[in-house]
Amino acid sequence: MHGISPQQFAETVSSFLVPFYVALAAMNGIAALLMWKKFGPVTYFRVFGVPITNALVWTFVALGFMVLASMCAGANMNMMPQMPQSFRDAVNERTGPVIYTLGTTALLIILFVFRAWFVRPAVAWTIWNLMLLFLGLSMPDSNFFSIVAKPDNVPIVALVFLLAFFTWLATYRAVENDRRMDAGEPPLEKLDDEKVLVWPDLVYIEMICMIALTALLIFWAVWLQAPLEEPASSVKTPNPSKAPWYFLGLQEMLVYYDPWMAGVVLPSLIVVGLMAIPYIDFNKQGNGYYTIKQRKFAYIMFQLGFLELWVTLIVLGTLLRGPNWNFFGPYEFWDAHKVEALNNVNLSDYFWQWWLGKSLPAVPQLQPIIDYTPTWISSWLQPILQFVGILLTRELPGTLLLLGYFIALPPMMALTVFRKFYQRMGFIRYMVMANLLLFMASLPIKMVLRWSFNLKYLIAIPEYFFNF
Amino acid sequence: MADKKLSVAEILAAARKADKTGGGAEAPAAPAVEAAAPVEKPAASAKPTAAPAKKPAAGGARLSVAEMMAMARGQKAGGEAAAPAAPAKPAAKPAAPAAKAAPAKKEAPAAKAEPVDTQSILSAARKATKPGPMTKAEAQAKAAPVAADTKKAKAKEAIVVPPMPVKPDYAKPTAAKATKQQVVERRAFLFGMSALAVGFSALSATAAAWTLGTVRFMFPNILREPPSRFSVGTTDKFPAGQVEERFKAQFGVWIVNTEYNGQQQIVALKSVCTHLGCTPNWLEAEQKFKCPCHGSGFYKDGINFEGPAPRPLERYAIGIGSDGSIEVDKSRTFQEEMGQWNDPACFIPV
Repeated sequence: MHGISPQQFAETVSSFLVPFYVALAAMNGIAALLMWKKFGPVTYFRVFGVPITNALVWTFVALGFMVLASMCAGANMNMMPQMPQSFRDAVNERTGPVIYTLGTTALLIILFVFRAWFVRPAVAWTIWNLMLLFLGLSMPDSNFFSIVAKPDNVPIVALVFLLAFFTWLATYRAVENDRRMDAGEPPLEKLDDEKVLVWPDLVYIEMICMIALTALLIFWAVWLQAPLEEPASSVKTPNPSKAPWYFLGLQEMLVYYDPWMAGVVLPSLIVVGLMAIPYIDFNKQGNGYYTIKQRKFAYIMFQLGFLELWVTLIVLGTLLRGPNWNFFGPYEFWDAHKVEALNNVNLSDYFWQWWLGKSLPAVPQLQPIIDYTPTWISSWLQPILQFVGILLTRELPGTLLLLGYFIALPPMMALTVFRKFYQRMGFIRYMVMANLLLFMASLPIKMVLRWSFNLKYLIAIPEYFFNF
Repeated sequence: MADKKLSVAEILAAARKADKTGGGAEAPAAPAVEAAAPVEKPAASAKPTAAPAKKPAAGGARLSVAEMMAMARGQKAGGEAAAPAAPAKPAAKPAAPAAKAAPAKKEAPAAKAEPVDTQSILSAARKATKPGPMTKAEAQAKAAPVAADTKKAKAKEAIVVPPMPVKPDYAKPTAAKATKQQVVERRAFLFGMSALAVGFSALSATAAAWTLGTVRFMFPNILREPPSRFSVGTTDKFPAGQVEERFKAQFGVWIVNTEYNGQQQIVALKSVCTHLGCTPNWLEAEQKFKCPCHGSGFYKDGINFEGPAPRPLERYAIGIGSDGSIEVDKSRTFQEEMGQWNDPACFIPV
């Protein structure tokens, strides 16, 4: 933290952590009370005849959080519970865009495969507590605190927890429904399909939500000051320069793509693809109730696109990208002079220079066209032909790869993995679906190629602002 | 007029009274409303009239909603109920104590048979045609309509609207006293018109002035850019290997003395990233230009080497002016990927 003394920092952290831990203790205490009184306690085991119930366990957890709160109360850094320095160093050292992205992917896959276990309330509640405990233990680190507690980033931290909760809620119901339907029972939503009236039942709920959220926003706006920066200047860009939080996924995408691709083509395809979903979805199951088994493909595609390619990139861009858009570990100081080797090479360079040992083929000048046609024709014909010429000579490997990817791959997929899809969907719908899918997959593929081969562009024609 | 009409609540209250006491108890029905208008005799007390002088018969002049609904229900219920419901209409008019109590009594069982709240009436109407799930109210109405009705009636009993007080004299509307102005004088008419004309002319003039002002606002009296041609000093101020950042803030240009293609040159690099147009920073320690937006990096000579930037930084035209100092011309740019850096207009050999 810049501009404040260690003592001031300790007081700031303490003023956050004490209410934070007290709230966690209250949360667990209320949960224990509900388990005891409302749901009926579950006895895990007995010690000398005394039943150890879930209510008792969570009461002890609540007591533990109260102890942590009291340890933070003195604003004394040595007393405050925090992550050990060795752990922080290890995390800083090991993390990077590769570990982060692959790690979140692996984590989501594990959560998905073992979802029946992870959604059990006791397990989910434990994970929830551990997430909050991780936040609390990391806060005394000044680098972590300065990023997480920045007013700009508070919504992102909230987003992580809210998303965890809502993903759990939906998955929990889906798992339960799948189990019921396997046993031949109707899904939960069909049991209680009592009709309620829009007015007043729904409208009142909406109005109450509206008022509560407005109140929340007002208190938020009063409590956290608006993060104003220095006056704008056309010749000075803040370092790091970040898009609004909801666009940070796009900004991360721009690291791997040409602005024309990542700024125009892919965002448009995202919107078009979302609009196309109702037309390419042929699965009539899963209307009005949560399910995963009956809509496995749709579910996986959505979670891949939303959680993996959108939300984790937002979190990465917000919390882990620092000056010069370098990657910084969660406990790392944002050093504007951090040196990272990001030397990138185009595919054509790899192919002609490194593999064939030749120099790049020259740009075709097409002199005859300039010489033998009138100016009004050659002025537009020459650039087009030159562009195509570059595409077919210097950038031939990338051109062939992309043609194979977008033209040869869909029929191959139709014959193999998507055989049933193709039969159900027909040619046009299948091709739309396959191309959207391939465009979506091109982002992680490009990321992996960048990390593993330092690949900049598959097709690089900077002369005509065309790079892929 | 309004005070002569029976309100739904009172009709219901009367009906409930009658219902509660069983057969033909008119007498106990009276005290309930007596509290509101104690001076009246029991017959009139069933009406919410505030002016006792007015004739009581007027109370039944219009049918109340409840009565209409009771009739409708009676007709729907069939022959048995239709007969008692029918007298309700004529009986309401005389407002005799017996007549008043009678329709009320008949109404009560009719109301009992089906719940009286809007939801239930609507759902009852739909019942025959509509399959599918039902609301809680419907389910309740189906299961125990009588219980629901008596419960509701009890809850509603408390509401008794007190009569309106008599309007005092000062509150009564008086006849309009202004009769003078009805004579329109020719002079006043003319004067009024011209005032209107003046007003509208002024309004139009103001609007026109605003429009002109807005148009003027579109063309501010400013110099949009610093001059595109400017001199930066003599060549000896730029030693080899130096990146001069002084001109970045005002002109958006770095003056760099660097080696390109084996030749030492002074060039003017445009400080705009070729990826997405942010302004890179010169990092002296790392000897590179680094863009804060997506991490593009450029060597000292402007060649891109890291991050997503697809091409090198652009150069501005540069040359020696007539006074011997270096002159940069921002109106022309030179791109390396187009082979334009060999143009002698974009560097000064040193």
